[in-house]
Amino acid sequence: MADSVEETKRNLEEMVNVLKKYADNIEFVERVGLIVRVKKERLREVSRFVHDILDSYFRTMAAVDERPINNTFAAYYVFGKDEMGLNIIIETHTDPLDPEIPSISDLVPAADWYELEAWDLLGIKFTGRRLYRFILPDEWPEGLYPLRKDVDYNLRPVKPLARKASKQAPAGPRIPFGPYHPALHEPEYFELFVEGEKVVDVRYNGFHVHRGIEKLAESPRFTYQKVPFLAERICGICGFVHSVSYTMSVERAAKIDVPERAEYIRSIILEVERLHSHLLWIGVACHLLGYDAGFMHSWRIREKVMVLSELLTGSRKTYGINLVGGVRKDINKDKIQAIMNTLKYIKEEFSKLVEVIAHVPQIVKRATGTGILPRDDARKLSVVGPVARGSGLNRDVRKDYPYAAYPYVSFKVPVYSEGDNLARLFVRIDEVFESINILEQLLDKIPQGPIFAEKIEVPEGVIGIGNVEAPRGEAIHVTITGKGRPYRWRVRAPTYQNIPALKIMLKDAPLADAPLTIASIDPCFSCTDRLLVIDLKTGKAVKKTMEEIIKKKKVN
Amino acid sequence: MSLKKLLKPFKLLSIAKKAGVVTVLYPYQKPLITSEFRGKIVIDASKCMGCGACANVCPPNALSITETEESVILNYFVGRCIFCGMCADVCPVGAIRVSNEFELATTNIDNLNTVLVHKLKGCVDCGKPFITSRMLENVLKKVPFAEKYINECPDCRRKRFINIVSARKR
Repeated sequence: MADSVEETKRNLEEMVNVLKKYADNIEFVERVGLIVRVKKERLREVSRFVHDILDSYFRTMAAVDERPINNTFAAYYVFGKDEMGLNIIIETHTDPLDPEIPSISDLVPAADWYELEAWDLLGIKFTGRRLYRFILPDEWPEGLYPLRKDVDYNLRPVKPLARKASKQAPAGPRIPFGPYHPALHEPEYFELFVEGEKVVDVRYNGFHVHRGIEKLAESPRFTYQKVPFLAERICGICGFVHSVSYTMSVERAAKIDVPERAEYIRSIILEVERLHSHLLWIGVACHLLGYDAGFMHSWRIREKVMVLSELLTGSRKTYGINLVGGVRKDINKDKIQAIMNTLKYIKEEFSKLVEVIAHVPQIVKRATGTGILPRDDARKLSVVGPVARGSGLNRDVRKDYPYAAYPYVSFKVPVYSEGDNLARLFVRIDEVFESINILEQLLDKIPQGPIFAEKIEVPEGVIGIGNVEAPRGEAIHVTITGKGRPYRWRVRAPTYQNIPALKIMLKDAPLADAPLTIASIDPCFSCTDRLLVIDLKTGKAVKKTMEEIIKKKKVN
Repeated sequence: MSLKKLLKPFKLLSIAKKAGVVTVLYPYQKPLITSEFRGKIVIDASKCMGCGACANVCPPNALSITETEESVILNYFVGRCIFCGMCADVCPVGAIRVSNEFELATTNIDNLNTVLVHKLKGCVDCGKPFITSRMLENVLKKVPFAEKYINECPDCRRKRFINIVSARKR
């Protein structure tokens, strides 16, 4: 053990020595990482060095309007060196009047979306690449950048067209219906270009439900302790992940010591959430492949987890028990017993169900060899979660960047090298059993003590990074603290990192496999969606739901 | 061997038979909620003193405090409530209780509002209303010394203080 610590130290020193050549200033901040401040002209060299030679993954990028502080726009590129559990944050600043930063998306393909987002929301021009509107709606005025500090959080520049009421409205309650059907899934939109049955290209058109949560958290009506409840509402499936990520980023920035018992409770709830999410996904995958019996039984098992989370937190979803500094609800002996009973039930029932699912011919045959993501592409795009682990990358935030109570338990990280849909299915199945294993250890070891930190003081202008292994990959939040509330809060959900990989998975594959492949990254927009299929031969566009495609398996 | 494999999916029949019916005929049968479930909050009007601590901490602004000339109005709008129970945690007099009521749908929006009006007591000197009588009692209970100045409004207190200081100077 001592050797590896020494070695890490030596490696770190070596790394700093090389980085000194490029950087103006290097600083090691405890609990956050290595902050490398560079001039924007040298950004590309440093990025290439960190990404290719140091072999670190691209984790996130936070662009910030720092004009009120130091009259610049800043960008924080967060790279992660998994083996050392070290964040390398490259900080660069640019001119306030004509913000320009050289693009690194050709060197680091994963940075593509981040640059487009920064251009849309902050107006930072990335030179050497094509920039286009990505997040904001089409009718949003040009030259108005909502994340800049001089734009009000409640500004509504576009006057929506008034809906015409029918002339003779009948009396009684009125229920608005549409523009989206309430029973359908979240509005995400893929354009698949096909030649006959083969998918040739994919275009993603998303962010229909971009709610400006990051801007809202900076607004005066929010405080540090209110944001966890907002963060929980980022995702309907893995809400607790985001609330823990946020609180962790603030706690790390402010160097708040969270009591150990609170860390254990957080980990327990996070694992319970993973159980319910994976069971949900396995059910949905069965449903997509036409095996509804498997879907029903997977959700029958999941229901027990939902009732358990209600018993532990007070709510089936959006638990609302997390705050900066600790948790609000303790667990007692009865609850521990209840978890044990539920775990026993899940273990028994799920292993029976898995045995069946793994032998259903339509599932095994449809999932084998479809939606292949090769290891090299996965590495280049820095994908996260089961998608990475299904393509042979051994990445798991719980192991690589330990947080909460995960350093105290031992568990395996399932890795499959095939990279197809079946591999991703097996990763998730294995993870369910690992989660049960982790929960048993946590319940065994949970210490006594307080569940809330004594003193909570957050200094201004420090950076903190919170990362959590969500069921669908790594969620990472970057928070720059401000007065009473975050100055900038950058959220990156796992799906953000994984969607670009779909282009590779879907290319040259039969159209009938597309819905399963899209669902196989477990996208945060629940599961399946509406697609637009364009036949390149006839140029006709056909709108279809995924289920229709699966049932017909043929596009006319 | 291969036959055995082929027959594996049929095991589901025995699993299904053993599991039986797991759904509940809600609303004819009782809903499956646990003892910890957090639902709508109930404000005890006989305890609330209109301090506004709950409105201050409420993440979605479901609780709001409006101050008019003569009264303080606490409004609870269930439509915005996220049922986190932070208000019950911070209430200094324990007037807020989290119930397990969740069947809140209604056709009349007024049913979603709970309004609590606190009349303000006037200042002994200038007569301007400034404090709820329950808040006054509560302050006296905690700080008995406050008896000497609690009946005056902050403005009159300030004036009196300035007068005393300037009198001393002379």
